[in-house]
Amino acid sequence: MSFQTIAALAIVALAVTGLIWRSVAKSAKPGCGGGCGCPSSEIKAKLKVVK
Amino acid sequence: MSADAKPTLYPRTPVYAIIGNPNCGKSTLFNALTGLKQKVGNYPGVTVEKKQGTTYSQHGQPLAVIDLPGTYSLAARSPDEAVTRDVLLGRRADTPTPDRIICLVDATNLERNLYLVHQVLDLGRPVILVLNMMDLAAAAGVNIRVARLEKELGIPVIPCEAVNGKGILQLKLAMSRPDLPLSRHAWDVPPAIAAAVAELQASLAANDGKPPLSARAEALLLLTDQDSVRVAGSTPLSARTAEILQAWQKRWEAEGMDWAGALVNSRYEAIGRLAAEVVQPGVMAGPTVSDRIDAVVTHPIWGWLVLVAVMTLLFVSIFTLAEYPMDWIGVQVAALAGWVRGVMPPGDLRDLITDGAIEGVGTIITFLPQILILFFFIGLLENTGYMARAAFIMDRLMSRVGLNGKSFIPLLSSYACAIPGIMATRTIEDPKDRLTTILVAPLMSCSARLPVYLLMIAALVPGDRVPLATKVGLMLLMYALGTGGAFGFAWLFKRTLLKGAPPLMIMELPPYRLPGLKDVAMHMVERAGLFLKRAGTIILGISIVLWFLSTFPRAPAGATSIQQVEYSIAGRAGHAIEPLIKPIGFDWRIGIGLISSFAAREVFVSSTAVVFSVENFDANHEHADIAPLRVALRNARWPDGRPLFTPLVCLSLMIYYVFAMQCMSTIAVVRRETNTWRWPIFQTAYMTGAAWILSFIVYQGGTALGF
Repeated sequence: MSFQTIAALAIVALAVTGLIWRSVAKSAKPGCGGGCGCPSSEIKAKLKVVK
Repeated sequence: MSADAKPTLYPRTPVYAIIGNPNCGKSTLFNALTGLKQKVGNYPGVTVEKKQGTTYSQHGQPLAVIDLPGTYSLAARSPDEAVTRDVLLGRRADTPTPDRIICLVDATNLERNLYLVHQVLDLGRPVILVLNMMDLAAAAGVNIRVARLEKELGIPVIPCEAVNGKGILQLKLAMSRPDLPLSRHAWDVPPAIAAAVAELQASLAANDGKPPLSARAEALLLLTDQDSVRVAGSTPLSARTAEILQAWQKRWEAEGMDWAGALVNSRYEAIGRLAAEVVQPGVMAGPTVSDRIDAVVTHPIWGWLVLVAVMTLLFVSIFTLAEYPMDWIGVQVAALAGWVRGVMPPGDLRDLITDGAIEGVGTIITFLPQILILFFFIGLLENTGYMARAAFIMDRLMSRVGLNGKSFIPLLSSYACAIPGIMATRTIEDPKDRLTTILVAPLMSCSARLPVYLLMIAALVPGDRVPLATKVGLMLLMYALGTGGAFGFAWLFKRTLLKGAPPLMIMELPPYRLPGLKDVAMHMVERAGLFLKRAGTIILGISIVLWFLSTFPRAPAGATSIQQVEYSIAGRAGHAIEPLIKPIGFDWRIGIGLISSFAAREVFVSSTAVVFSVENFDANHEHADIAPLRVALRNARWPDGRPLFTPLVCLSLMIYYVFAMQCMSTIAVVRRETNTWRWPIFQTAYMTGAAWILSFIVYQGGTALGF
């Protein structure tokens, strides 16, 4: 195996580890983190229900 | 009870919290105080955004500021309001109890806003009252006697126009004061309730460790809202306090008296007397400008036309304004790949960097200008007040399919990403409404689908230029299909699996105002940062893994690049599902894209870039630059020589992406929110099934008609 192939496979292993770690970390700390474009809390709180 | 107007001194930097009614300008004020020195996160365990920042006193001392979710009252009715209440009462271990509170009120409606202020003053902590939107109040003829209000409450009162920056300096000066007086406001608790208040206060002080003034405020609050809404991360009441509260609740139920209501009324009476002394309401000559605009914007017919026009303008902007920056980014990405090819010798590492990382991530980043424009418009619509009108118009439609207006925000959020949309359903009290919204939210075309639509639209029409009207029309069609699909399935679910009647909804329509472009720009920059962060982490990681899966195992010597991809793990997976997807016009290469999309929908673009650009390499000699992806797609062929990406296939693929459930993260969130695997499995099945059926109808029907 050439150096480039070994290096490439190492990077792939690193990427897989990183993706798995992110997935586990997200399960441990639920919540969106506000990262995906949710409307402001002002808009959310404006809707009230009459009971 | 009157609080002594004693000055307070703090040995450390105080923590400020900004609190106010929804839409009174809290975020604008927070941004004005903290600028970019702010951090957006999440309160652990709840889907409520946590915003913290730093501002500076007049002496250059850093001051911590927390922007709390908007609420009309400390009697919480939703997780957002519960978090605000808990932070102020010191019930959250993850957030410091604010030492000082900035109450922001809408000066055009002071009396209503004072209810929250009145509750906050009970807490016995220093408060600064900020009267925002003074310009609008003046325009409405409302005159507020600021000095009188200061005297009555005994706290600093600062007139402000946060959107214009007026009053910010005075506020910072007030925040810089080492001594801030406690309020001397007073109101009479009904005598019949006084005993309950005293008993709870004593228990909170003795068993929950609350300071006396804070204990009284919390006792009043517990008797008003009965502690009905609790969220994760909130310190529970001690057993003794909970027992006392329950005992009083039972006693009042037995007496048949609404003492909670009496408490609320007593507070309103005190506020009414105060407002009568300090507010001179303007004489309204007739409908306001907002009323006149709303006569059109909320009209049953014109309102819809306006909504469609706004959406059309949004998509026209996405296509026209983003073209040059997109082309520029594409050129830079190709140049970078070419440079790497030039400096590195041939090998797997070089291929990983160029075909995997640069190609995969670079193709996604090309769509950044369009994402920016999308979020710019969303921020603009929110800032002007139009978003509330859109919610109002949508409520008419949603109630017909059995959804209530509270579903609008989760569904609207899902246009950006279904995950926060699904989490936002926690504000929906009815479990069936909530579950219905969760099941249909992913049908709203999320921003991750945008690159797929754009790529297909570019590949769909022959020639280099796609007419603008065609692009806009197709985009509108995709968004309309997704929205229509969501409503259609909601209607079906509410009449079959999840029968139930929607509750009534009331909502506030804030006055229109000119957008604060600085706020909108900050919002856009924040989202762009998050998009790039996602591209640089998740998408990069997936692109690298995808390269590996499409490169290994190695094909026998002498195989072409295309044969190598076929021989690889990804190719075999694509071939495995080809019998299922051939009836809808897709081959194994598109199949690789469909499979990889489970990680993130936009990865379809990266994976097609990896798979189809490899093909183009053969056609254009080994060291040629990678051709634009859409050209590569148009050149792609079935084994018999027929073109693969015909307009019909592009349309079929877009429709598939509108409806299919392809996001593992969304499935994981649905599992967590519903606490079972049954619903995410059902959701994946019905969505993917609907996607296949509709794509089949379009492809086979179009083929039969000769398209």
